[in-house]
Amino acid sequence: MINLADLQGNILRGYTKKPHVRYLILEVVDRSAARLWLAASVSGRNGVPQITSGDWGENKPDTCFNIGLTYEGLCALGTPSASLKMFPNEFVEGMTARALKLGDVGASAPEKWPAPFNEPKRIHLIATIYAEKFEQLNEVQKRALPDEKAFRLLGTREGYNFPGDFVHFGYRDNITQPRFEGVHDPERYPDRQPRAPLGTVLLGHPTNLEGLMWRVPHPVALGHNGTFNAFRVLKQHVADFERYLDRAASYLLEHPQGYELLPRGEEEKIGKGPSRRAALREIVAANLCGRWRDGTPLALSADAPDPNVDLTDFDYVGVGDARCPHGAHIRRCNPRGGQIVQRIANNSRRLVRRGVPYGPPYNPDGPLYDPAKPYDGDEPERGLLGNFIGASLGAQFEAMSCDWLNLGLQDPRITGSNDPISGTNDPGTSWFDLPLKSGDTIRLHGLPEFVSTRGGAYTFLPSLKAIEYLGSPM
Amino acid sequence: MPSDEGVLDRLVDWVHTTDVFKCVASWTLVPYWARRTPVKPLPGGPHPSFQHGDNVQCMMNLIMPLKVKSPIGRAEAALAIAKNKDAIYAGLNNVGTVHFARFVIVGDNICMFSVYDGDFTNYIRDFIATIGEVFNEVVKLVEGGKKVIPCEKNVEAFIQWVHEHDLYQVPDTATDFLRDQEDLKGDRAVSPVDDDLTLLPRKLVLQLRANANISLGSGYRAYPGFSVAQVRKHLKLGW
Repeated sequence: MINLADLQGNILRGYTKKPHVRYLILEVVDRSAARLWLAASVSGRNGVPQITSGDWGENKPDTCFNIGLTYEGLCALGTPSASLKMFPNEFVEGMTARALKLGDVGASAPEKWPAPFNEPKRIHLIATIYAEKFEQLNEVQKRALPDEKAFRLLGTREGYNFPGDFVHFGYRDNITQPRFEGVHDPERYPDRQPRAPLGTVLLGHPTNLEGLMWRVPHPVALGHNGTFNAFRVLKQHVADFERYLDRAASYLLEHPQGYELLPRGEEEKIGKGPSRRAALREIVAANLCGRWRDGTPLALSADAPDPNVDLTDFDYVGVGDARCPHGAHIRRCNPRGGQIVQRIANNSRRLVRRGVPYGPPYNPDGPLYDPAKPYDGDEPERGLLGNFIGASLGAQFEAMSCDWLNLGLQDPRITGSNDPISGTNDPGTSWFDLPLKSGDTIRLHGLPEFVSTRGGAYTFLPSLKAIEYLGSPM
Repeated sequence: MPSDEGVLDRLVDWVHTTDVFKCVASWTLVPYWARRTPVKPLPGGPHPSFQHGDNVQCMMNLIMPLKVKSPIGRAEAALAIAKNKDAIYAGLNNVGTVHFARFVIVGDNICMFSVYDGDFTNYIRDFIATIGEVFNEVVKLVEGGKKVIPCEKNVEAFIQWVHEHDLYQVPDTATDFLRDQEDLKGDRAVSPVDDDLTLLPRKLVLQLRANANISLGSGYRAYPGFSVAQVRKHLKLGW
């Protein structure tokens, strides 16, 4: 069994009882002071918040505190050059240099990112505070940054988990994470996916690709049990999304095969009352995602949301293959055991995904969109602060982003299209196929970009031993 | 149309076409230029692009100099490929993103030319996972190959090594070539790109001095780009 006390807690835990999250984006001011700060953070000495490990022992912490270091951060801390050379290219180059692979073009291009992400080389450390109450965020931040001796605060980002785990587009999120070999799984929810080898999420352990090992930066204390995180600030254009659902519903109302999607008289099954338009909107929303907004997977219940079906125990084979669109968001991100072109890649690009919404909810009266309410005028910035954690950014996060989300290479039926929700779509060329029971499809066009990148960084999430190592005197 | 060139212009235009000038320039002028304005080899592989059509049917042109530069060394390379033929077919089948792959011996080099879909690193990584042992057998015969095998334990270094042996693909437009040169300067690059076309011949000569083997263009397609799986599906071959 893995020693959880050596891992940062946010790798394997979601901290679900701590809905308030604040990211402190920091620059090293003084190397020695920063190293002392790191040393103190391991045990919580001198008022510095203690790094939350994966082993909470008897008492759950009131607040949680974790850190990630960029390549520039490792350099600023004086990490030996022999160690720096062992970090993978994508981490060394940083997120902004990988913009094309990640689809960060147009409105999402790094040149358009606001501060502090407009100066990526100054971002050295991203500290994250998780708390039950908002005031605790301020209290921990004050302890973390009593002055500017060690770090300078470049900026913050703050999120809040909405009740019921809903996110801005109105979908339920945080439903499932990979389960790992050798790690106790207290939730034990049914899941047809195999347990992922620990090397999926931690350096120094066997990966899902048989015989392949990712390079572990030396010394062992620095690299072993560390992992990488793609931190992303993802702006969601909720009003555009809801407008698109309106347009798609109008199109389907007139479409000769629209009845195949929704037989007449079955409108109320969708849960939006007798309105055919409202029901078709929800059908489109469900197909774009691969889940109904309440989380019901289309692979198990394609005709209507069903509170009785399992949210995690499904696969894209047989009926699940036919009824969930091949291009649906969750299927593109994780094709599970379904047929894909890169046969060896089934289950090899899995990631731990942790997101928290930021900005005001779209509809303050409820978590779900109500078409009777007028659209926001100038939509305030809102979105998701996402963490995509895996032992290899290149083999997991980037491989998923470039070949699957923004090229659709995994299935010839979607090649040449982008992810309908998070992809870099252009209304002039975008398309998405809705599957019908007959085997035909209805093609939707004109999807705009619903999600734009507004910042981010690749960080290394060091183990507790590594933080101790980085905090040791030079 | 009457020419408005003067005698001097015509002389300059003519003189560089003479064998004497080419010979003298190769020995004197080019080394002088190279010392004055050092040029790094441009990186290999397709140009990064976000367009779907640019990300299918991509070209890889590996030129790998053999350690043993003799008929024996070339025969070793030929045998390494021949005895792994079945594994190579199995790899193509499992990776699923390769249209064609060819091994060619040119002089004392073993060359691998392939046409693949998607991201280069994913393509090589998937092949390592599928037929890493074949790569090991071939690469151990190549100069500098020993430090990156077994590739299964040196995934990142192996991918980087392959990338470094992949030929630079000269863009079809001169301004794109100048942009590539400018990109090499990283943060020191000037914007807008220095696109003085009169400097193109000099820059091309200097790049070819640093980078003797290059690919002219990124391959010319007779039809729009399709993925392997799209072709197989259309031809009802299964995918």
